Amino acid sequence: MKKEKIFRPIPVLTTRMFRTNRGRNVVAVLAIMLTTMMFSTLFTLTQSLSRNLVEMTFRQTGYDAQASIRGLTEAQADTIAASPQVAEIGQSIVLGQAENDALTGQSVEIRWADESYATHSFAYPSTGRLPEIADEIALDTLVLDRLGIPHELGQTVTLSWRKDLSRDEVTTTSFTLCGFWEGNRSSYASMAWVSRAYADEMTGGVLSSDENQILGLYMIQVNLLTDQDIEGSMDRILADAGLSHLEYSVNLAYSPEMGAMAAQESLPMYLGMVLVFVAGYLIIYNIFQISVTADVQFYGKLKTLGTTTKQIKKLVYGQANRLCILGIPIGLILGWLSGFVLVPVFMGAMEGEAVVSASPVIFVGSALFAWATVLISCLRPARLAGKVSPIEALRMSDADTDSKKKQKRHLGTASLPAMAWANLWRNKKRTVTVICSLTLGLVLLSCFYAKNAALDMEKYLADLILADFELSDATSEDYINNYDPHGTTLTDALVSQLESQEGVEASGHLYSAQIQWQMDEGTLQNLAAFYTEDKLTDWESYDPQGAQALRSALVAGDGSAILYGLDGIPLDAITQNQYVLEGSFDAAEFASGNYVLAVGPSVELGAEYPVLPVPSVGSTVELNGRTYTVMAVVYPLNPVTQLTVQRGGGDKFSLSFIIPTDTFRQQWPDHTLRKLFLYVDDAHIHRVQAFLDDYMADTDPSLPVASRQTMASQYQAQTRSSAVMGNAISIIIALVGVLNFVNSMVTAILSRKREFAVIQSVGMTKRQLSRMLTAEGLYYAALTLAASYLISALTVGIVVRAMVEGGFTTFRFTLLPLMVCTPLLLLFALLIPYLCFRNLEQHSIVERLRME
Amino acid sequence: MTREIILQARGLKKYYGRGETQVRALDGVDLDIERSKFTAIIGTSGSGKSTLLNMLGGLDTPSAGSIKVGNTELASLNSEQATIFRRKQIGFVFQNYNLVPVLNVWENIIFPISLDGRKPDKKFILQIVSLLGLEKKLESLPGSLSGGQQQRVAIARALASKPSIILADEPTGNLDSKTSDDVIGLLKMTSQEFDQTIVMITHNPEIAAMADRVIRIEDGQIVMQ
Repeated sequence: MKKEKIFRPIPVLTTRMFRTNRGRNVVAVLAIMLTTMMFSTLFTLTQSLSRNLVEMTFRQTGYDAQASIRGLTEAQADTIAASPQVAEIGQSIVLGQAENDALTGQSVEIRWADESYATHSFAYPSTGRLPEIADEIALDTLVLDRLGIPHELGQTVTLSWRKDLSRDEVTTTSFTLCGFWEGNRSSYASMAWVSRAYADEMTGGVLSSDENQILGLYMIQVNLLTDQDIEGSMDRILADAGLSHLEYSVNLAYSPEMGAMAAQESLPMYLGMVLVFVAGYLIIYNIFQISVTADVQFYGKLKTLGTTTKQIKKLVYGQANRLCILGIPIGLILGWLSGFVLVPVFMGAMEGEAVVSASPVIFVGSALFAWATVLISCLRPARLAGKVSPIEALRMSDADTDSKKKQKRHLGTASLPAMAWANLWRNKKRTVTVICSLTLGLVLLSCFYAKNAALDMEKYLADLILADFELSDATSEDYINNYDPHGTTLTDALVSQLESQEGVEASGHLYSAQIQWQMDEGTLQNLAAFYTEDKLTDWESYDPQGAQALRSALVAGDGSAILYGLDGIPLDAITQNQYVLEGSFDAAEFASGNYVLAVGPSVELGAEYPVLPVPSVGSTVELNGRTYTVMAVVYPLNPVTQLTVQRGGGDKFSLSFIIPTDTFRQQWPDHTLRKLFLYVDDAHIHRVQAFLDDYMADTDPSLPVASRQTMASQYQAQTRSSAVMGNAISIIIALVGVLNFVNSMVTAILSRKREFAVIQSVGMTKRQLSRMLTAEGLYYAALTLAASYLISALTVGIVVRAMVEGGFTTFRFTLLPLMVCTPLLLLFALLIPYLCFRNLEQHSIVERLRME
Repeated sequence: MTREIILQARGLKKYYGRGETQVRALDGVDLDIERSKFTAIIGTSGSGKSTLLNMLGGLDTPSAGSIKVGNTELASLNSEQATIFRRKQIGFVFQNYNLVPVLNVWENIIFPISLDGRKPDKKFILQIVSLLGLEKKLESLPGSLSGGQQQRVAIARALASKPSIILADEPTGNLDSKTSDDVIGLLKMTSQEFDQTIVMITHNPEIAAMADRVIRIEDGQIVMQ
């Protein structure tokens, strides 16, 4: 006797039962695996997404310390650093901004910083070190590239800057490169670190505590021990140090809005998890329900032998746990891998490198979710197994036992389709579960497809770019220093070279000027009528300065006017019928130079407005000493009018007007070209692009070029991610549905072996039996398809239509994925009964009659 | 020796269905069974014998009436308590043996005891095993045993927990006459050895003749004692 070990009946039974049901277990493990995989994919995406989002905000704000303080003294900084709540502080002294021509449009701050400040600003040299002696400098690679300096230590770097921005006196210093690091494109400015010695020399050792005095402005970054309650901590620290009068700013990346944004970004993921749970529940529940029903006699037997309800439930959960042990780890790995593939696709839209999170939260979280799904799915089957009374067990079969139906209502013929139909409803719950499971996947697929099909790239691009290529002055979209009308980026040579390129079909020019403008009475009336108090209050809530500018303009009538000199592409675009809000455009009259087009607000196109906040059509306006008649009011097309204000233009309320280029050139002969638009035929796009690439490499690396092609592919990359994600999840859910469908059909047939033998023994031919089974399969498929078409049509037509409303979309009603799935499903419905039937045929009728 | 009643049934009824289609499986049965006696229940198929036996063992619940095992009123137990009471007090021998196919002979025998979380009395069980001639089969799975052997395993299982009552439903129904005689002989022998009460359903008049008392059931009622 080797039975010395204690015999624990439930675990032993669990193990042995598990071994005897291989086929069933494979299906269950597959289902659990798919469920876990979906959970962990979603978890990986959510985790990576929020991590990347935080990372991205750090890079945008330029640092990752919790708070910063400017305009204090070094002694005050030391007091703050001594606080027990402060982990460390980083210090920096600003000198000024580099103004080399090669750096136009790129902000480069010349500063001294200590190690902590540089590190927390993502600007610690990865090669070399921070400057130590007066003529050393550390820069990022973006600046080096702009300056055309190779990434090598010891190179000479010359920077020009002004100590006093109100004067023209330029300081030019040559430094030796002692360190550099990878530049960060999403940051507003690059850092040029100089030594403390140089800084002291420049400032004369005098630190500025006045924010308006840039030279010598001393600032610190405060790293706290905790991210919780940053404002509270800062207030306490400053109060303890007796420095409550100092103002600090909290890093935007730590603000509650960021958390809310991250949560919002993750919202679709949570929705996805609910769907995954439902899909997982539907199949795992069905599998367990089927296997418990199949084993019900066995459970009854155990019950007669004295197994309690609790013990039987334990047996069922034991089986489930074993399946989880197999399915969950595989699913976790597959899910993480698919997350690995999907995250970069997803992050494609964002700046910076996509980091795939490998946080334990992903694995623990998705394992727990998957396990919970399995256990919840087992609740009902386990209860069913536990509830089995020993006597009933002997009578229980595959069909529901609590059927209320005692009679068939009508005595029709026992036709094969009628029998098949009746068979379908012998187990209502299962039939409904399977149909729901499949329908869920198909409906989701249709919705995602319809949503993605609604995305309209043309609409999206129309908002960003008019022509195939748009070149601008380097300062055209410089929101920090604003536009310089004497910019030198678009030289005459470049323009004429480009316009004479082969394949250029049309071109267009945009000049601009901003002037002080005393608004006339009519304009003011229109403004006051359009911007009602309600609108102003609303405006104030998100842009108090803008609203205030308008308020004061309404009182005093002093505003500013931005004049655009347009010809060619931009003029044609903005004067298209749909963009003319008021009046009508006559090209020949307009060319005379006696007319202006007023640029209206971005109102809803096609809607009628009684008044627009611009001079009325037909009225005259005096701009820069010349009088024009307003010909029409046009819609503000982003690529034409969404540009920064002019340097020194002030922050008064402004209105925009369009005049012909020739007229503009007469008025402002010294203003250089701001934007060049080019149409290029498709065959030559690559050559023009190549020309521009060469030009940027050889002559001007800072030339801002927007290409329709590049934007189109960026757009596709961006939208692809959501399409891939949505389709991946719905395909897996549909797959789960198919698995459920296959499993249910197979078991429904195999569990009725004996029954089939009985009907065959009383005279049903093989052909008839096979036809009956096929009919059952077809009914299944037909019901699923009917439900899917109905629900998909409703959700696509109502929910998706509403979802894609607005934005760059054009809704089209489509059920294409369903149509693709229809023949597949029908094929399954025919194939499975056929294969099962062949399996049945391996045993003779007599053999099957004897089976238990 | 005083007459000690170990099993008592009063006004036992079991009805299935309603109205016209109502089936009266048991229709008012009163029964007293004495301790240490061998009682045989006979009757035609469908007469209600099995229903009575299942009810006496607490497997099935009556529509009306009461059953007392020892001093315990079965109706006072909930299903979980009834299960535990049954596996401690009553040994069942089923016509179709009811062995668990995935457990070997030894595991099958100690299964109800283990379910109870008790340690099997190994010496005692080995004694039964050798009495039943199963020593060499302890590690076999039920599927590899003959009908007679399986039935002996079922008997060993019924005896293993030293129940005071053994309820047997045609334990020899699937056995040839030679084996039947052996099995009945063993059952009688062990029950005498361990002082147990046996209630057995049988079709076999020879076996009935070996009983201390014979009860005949027709149409759900006792017609002869």
